[in-house]
Amino acid sequence: MPVIELSMTGRPKSGRVVGIDLGTTNSLVAFMGPGGPEVIRDEEGNALVPSIVYFDNTEHQLLVGEEARDRLITEPRRAIYSVKRFMGKGSSDVQEDLGMVPFQVAPGSEHVIRFQMGERVFTPPEISAFILRDLRERASKFFGEEVTQAVITVPAYFNDAQRQATKDAGHIAGLDVLRIVNEPTAASLAYGIDKRDEALVAVYDLGGGTFDISILKLKDGIFEVLSTNGDTHLGGDDIDNELISVVIGEIETRSGSKLDRDPSAFQTIRKAVIAAKHALSNSESATVSIDLGPALGGVYRREVTREEFESHIEKFVERTLDPCRKALKDANLEPAQIDEVVMVGGSTRVPLVVRKVKELFKREPHVELNPDEVVALGAAIQADVLSGGRRDLLLLDVTPLSLGIETLGGAVAKIIGRNSTIPASRAEMFTTWVDNQTGIDVHVVQGERELVQDCRSLARFTLKGIAPQPAGLPRIEVRFLIDANGILTVSARDVRTGREQSIEVKPSYGLTDEQIEKMLIDSIKFAEQDMTQRQVIEARNEAETVMRAAEKALAERGDQLIGESERAAIRTALAELRGATAGEDHRLIREKINQLDDASRHLAEEIMDGAVLAALKDRKASEVAEG
Amino acid sequence: MITTQTQMSENACPSCGATTESAHFCTACGRIQPVSKGSDYFGFFGLPRRLRLDEVELEKSFYALSRQFHPDYFMNSSAEEQKASIDRSSMLNDAYRTLRDRVGRAKYLLSLYGYKEAEKRAPADLLEEVFELNLHIEELKAAKKMADEDEVAEARSALKEALQGLDHKLEKIDDRLLELFDEWDRVAGEAVSEEQKKPVLDRMSELLSHRSYIHNLVRDINEEL
Repeated sequence: MPVIELSMTGRPKSGRVVGIDLGTTNSLVAFMGPGGPEVIRDEEGNALVPSIVYFDNTEHQLLVGEEARDRLITEPRRAIYSVKRFMGKGSSDVQEDLGMVPFQVAPGSEHVIRFQMGERVFTPPEISAFILRDLRERASKFFGEEVTQAVITVPAYFNDAQRQATKDAGHIAGLDVLRIVNEPTAASLAYGIDKRDEALVAVYDLGGGTFDISILKLKDGIFEVLSTNGDTHLGGDDIDNELISVVIGEIETRSGSKLDRDPSAFQTIRKAVIAAKHALSNSESATVSIDLGPALGGVYRREVTREEFESHIEKFVERTLDPCRKALKDANLEPAQIDEVVMVGGSTRVPLVVRKVKELFKREPHVELNPDEVVALGAAIQADVLSGGRRDLLLLDVTPLSLGIETLGGAVAKIIGRNSTIPASRAEMFTTWVDNQTGIDVHVVQGERELVQDCRSLARFTLKGIAPQPAGLPRIEVRFLIDANGILTVSARDVRTGREQSIEVKPSYGLTDEQIEKMLIDSIKFAEQDMTQRQVIEARNEAETVMRAAEKALAERGDQLIGESERAAIRTALAELRGATAGEDHRLIREKINQLDDASRHLAEEIMDGAVLAALKDRKASEVAEG
Repeated sequence: MITTQTQMSENACPSCGATTESAHFCTACGRIQPVSKGSDYFGFFGLPRRLRLDEVELEKSFYALSRQFHPDYFMNSSAEEQKASIDRSSMLNDAYRTLRDRVGRAKYLLSLYGYKEAEKRAPADLLEEVFELNLHIEELKAAKKMADEDEVAEARSALKEALQGLDHKLEKIDDRLLELFDEWDRVAGEAVSEEQKKPVLDRMSELLSHRSYIHNLVRDINEEL
């Protein structure tokens, strides 16, 4: 929670702004294309990057996404998933979560969780930064230019510390985070509901780890969030964990021995259960099949019907309905007044979820768009607004939690109420209690309860350097400002002198600016070492494939299909590429790969033509045989 | 949309130096202006200090001004303009939230005339009922503790009946509040001294303190039920 935000000047006037959905389970990046928002896919056509990071210090290997997911099973102690649950939290906040994941927490995690990954220790913003950097890399590659600006989405329910942690993650990843946007708000942008003149919209977002319900009002191109509610500990992960504990229970009963949280067995079971869950969205039954090895009784196989599945997960789906009712109540609305219901998050593919939501709102919910991509698409639209692309659309978000300060006796005086449109501010006057007092301590909390102990501590700060005066005479005005990202900044002014008052802020959770700067440097070091090494390895692998193909073609068909001068050119190119692979310059390897490609193109084309003719001949032969 | 009494800014525009007569944007260079000290919520919307106001018009003004001030549209502007945009937007949001609700509006007006938020006082004609209510609440608590279902049901129905009476009282207070709004608007429209405005404000302050008292009581009862 910085007192003074870094100056925004000096940013290039142009430049692409991408929209990023940094999810608990998956993350993805999107941009505004000529025909509307589009997600950016990798070479295989995947838009989703699993939010999993694997790190191995001895090998200097850092893997993100699918590759990291594979390591979850073989080396679970070096991989972290669902890190979003731990953003902006201290260890005491997340005891329950820590019980469900096989991560090791390093000492000194009171203010910021620190995960032990092999020999290294990482905080959640750093882990998230690895994911963000992967997405940034993907986008930069796609555009052929460095992407440095982004809009990142967060659950509407995220508090100040969680939003700040997300912004920090962007910073560590080398991204200028122009705006933190609430996920449900982004989703309704994606559905183009802004094309309507006026509408009341409910966005039901059941993702991997969080549930959000938002009630929005659209009028003349302005989206206003009327209320938000939700549960930061409810989502597809809970469904998975429930099924995992059912399966573990059955395995333990069968084999008569405890699994003892064997990490690799745990991950194998997790994978199998998730596969069954996905299958049950489209079919009436699925099979869970897990090979546990001889020690645990061999293969575990079990049929699950949709009915049984629904009986296990109904309690979680039910738990989403109460926040829905509360959000409606806060917005002063009846369910029937809602015009549009938008479904977001992979878990809304579960038919039971759609049924329950339809029952509550008495309306068929929107499921046309891919629920995994909706939020990123909306973020891309907001990114377009921020890059100056359009002015017909305006997002007015609200703060999800009340902001308060501690008063005498541990009570909380609310200064900015929850669901207030942001930016929102409030000035409070402070004075001294005893003569010649030169400092005043202020404790800022976030939450809805009456007592400090029941709210979440945001920060403590001290107003320092007050001139010695009789008690009650100094008048220090403290201004609390929640900016458009939902992040608090505090400034203070001596009313009598008009001078800025110095403040020393100690955030209760989260990282200090110095810590972030250090992480930034660390991650750059990592990135360079890591990326270069990876690029060399990748280039070498590709070179090997290309060389093997060229050598084979040259040996088998070279004499028949092309002349000596072309054969000589291919041999030269081969030798040069071979030489390049011995070095460490991946650019040179790439260059030589291209030269070999050029030299052997004619030969390849000839071979292809021959292959087509051969195929035609074969087909005729087989037709004859069948006839 | 914006009718009368626009708050005049006497400050020179920090961007071009011209003396600007518009509160929000410089009339000369069009740049957004920092929020001037001492501007109040009514003036910010260009409204006189009246309590009967058209809530539909207020909402329209809110949206129109949001479109002019929001930080989203100042991402590439100077640091000064960005700060002005955040300050104006937050003041707009605060002003709208306060003024759109009639109780919030009345309390804000009172604060402008130096009234502190009054202690929540029980109206004199309600003391007896409040006494009885507290008794019922205690009875209900005791019955719940004893897990005596008959007693619980009895105390509950007594409280529910009392609630209806309180709701009725709240309605009457709200009617009275609107009468005071009209009275205020009439007095404020006449060229009278601040002294002469005081009686209306005094009565409004008292009425609001009764209102919050009953409001809290209803909330407590609902919690207990």
